[in-house]
Amino acid sequence: MKVQAAELALDIQNLTAGYQERIVLRDVSWQVPRGTLAAIIGPNGGGKSTLLKTAVGLLKPVSYDALTLLGQSPEEGRNRAAYLPQGEEVDWAFPITVLEVVLQGRLVRKGLWGRLRREDYAASRSALEFFGLGGLEKVQIGALSGGQRQRVFLARALVQEADLILLDEPTTGLDAQAQHELADLLVELRKAGKTIIAATHDLDCLTECFDQVLALNGRVLAVGTPAQVLTEEIMVELFARHFPKVGEGGEVMLHES
Amino acid sequence: MNLELLLEPLQYGFMVRAFVGVGLVAVVAAAIGTFVVLKGLAFMGDAIAHTAFTGIAVGLLLGISIHVSALFFALVTSLGVVVLTRVSNVRNDTALAILFTGVFALGIVLLSTSPGFMGDLNSLLLGSVLAIQAREIVLIAAFALLLVVVLVLFFPQLVLASFDPLGAEAAGFPVVLFQSLLLALTAVAIVISIQAVGVVLVVALLITPAATAGLVTKRLKLQILLAALFGLVSSFLGLYISYFFGAPPGATVVLVATLFFTAALTIQRLRSRGGAAC
Repeated sequence: MKVQAAELALDIQNLTAGYQERIVLRDVSWQVPRGTLAAIIGPNGGGKSTLLKTAVGLLKPVSYDALTLLGQSPEEGRNRAAYLPQGEEVDWAFPITVLEVVLQGRLVRKGLWGRLRREDYAASRSALEFFGLGGLEKVQIGALSGGQRQRVFLARALVQEADLILLDEPTTGLDAQAQHELADLLVELRKAGKTIIAATHDLDCLTECFDQVLALNGRVLAVGTPAQVLTEEIMVELFARHFPKVGEGGEVMLHES
Repeated sequence: MNLELLLEPLQYGFMVRAFVGVGLVAVVAAAIGTFVVLKGLAFMGDAIAHTAFTGIAVGLLLGISIHVSALFFALVTSLGVVVLTRVSNVRNDTALAILFTGVFALGIVLLSTSPGFMGDLNSLLLGSVLAIQAREIVLIAAFALLLVVVLVLFFPQLVLASFDPLGAEAAGFPVVLFQSLLLALTAVAIVISIQAVGVVLVVALLITPAATAGLVTKRLKLQILLAALFGLVSSFLGLYISYFFGAPPGATVVLVATLFFTAALTIQRLRSRGGAAC
């Protein structure tokens, strides 16, 4: 089935990408229709971050047949894309408040000579309210819990009016409840018409509510609905190591590949 | 009597110029130094200072303005590092250290070829604030004004490029432009600070007051203002002490700034321990 490019949030054909000294991804093709909640799963070093970073132009691709973001080149399309870096790539001790972080979503759209106006503050405050962070405007970002930090960055994506939100390992450091809350929020955002792509190395609750899953380990192992991709066969091939699984009687067993 | 003592150094023109010059330099360096501290670029600052020294040596030998040649070398270094960090994903501190010490050594060798300039070596390395001239103060004041204008115009952009460069660039924001601007301002601050405290100690003016302010507050604008204040107070106190005790002024200023930092750190540690107890 061939989908019109304009209806795709992300269209990648035969992408080879990585770093100068190391190719991480080979011949990756993936199409994500608009309004999809998609997950990229795979082991550490499997290229999940590389794929996200290449899609938004943070890494130059080595070669590709097609690479479009929201129907445009990455340089143009990324104006309507928000990328949430891995937690460890953010300096949480930085002297910046919650509100100031969200306001940055406005600033990135305004560019070089951008000025923050009254309506930018109003939009940022209401985005914080929407994500249940009202009253925390003046708190330093590092003082928040992991789940709250994620929501601040999602609020920033919202005021940026991003149509596509890419999250790199959003569940790292979150407890089970915070993971569930994040999943619920992502579903909400999709209902609002956003396309969401999250990379994760955990096979956590997130994958259950996703529309589409890409299994990635240097190349595409499988792509489809969670039910199609999260099979034992594919998981064993993807992770190629032992992992715990729940048996038919509810007992936890160790799967050895 | 106390007032007389306080005013005594100010009867000398060179001391007045030193107070104004070092005070301005300290404020400029501390303000831009706040970003340097936040981004962990102290080592970078050291590299810029060392290559600026060679710029001065080249300026002296060619008989051109040492400020222009120093600024040229400092800018090439800082912007070169921006490029280096973008094209390579490996840690750059080794390459940077080899490069800047090599360039620095070249500067010393160049100076030594002309025996008349060897006298300048000492003042370049350790500063010569008491020899500061009125036209140099004008230059410093002009840079201070430039810095204030840039900070006022682009403050949120500079914060964005510092806090989340990946997210900002991914959304198409000109991060590299603002990172380069920040490093260019750092280069300028270093070049105008070299006369005050010398190549070896110039990084202290950049980072010590800013780090002290970082211990006191977690609000960026306040941190910048406090850093400027700490820089100003350190330089005035340092100059007074050096005047009455005959100590080298540049080093004394840095010593006072270091004592401020140590005091702030001690107070912070005692407080957090007290907080943990209750």
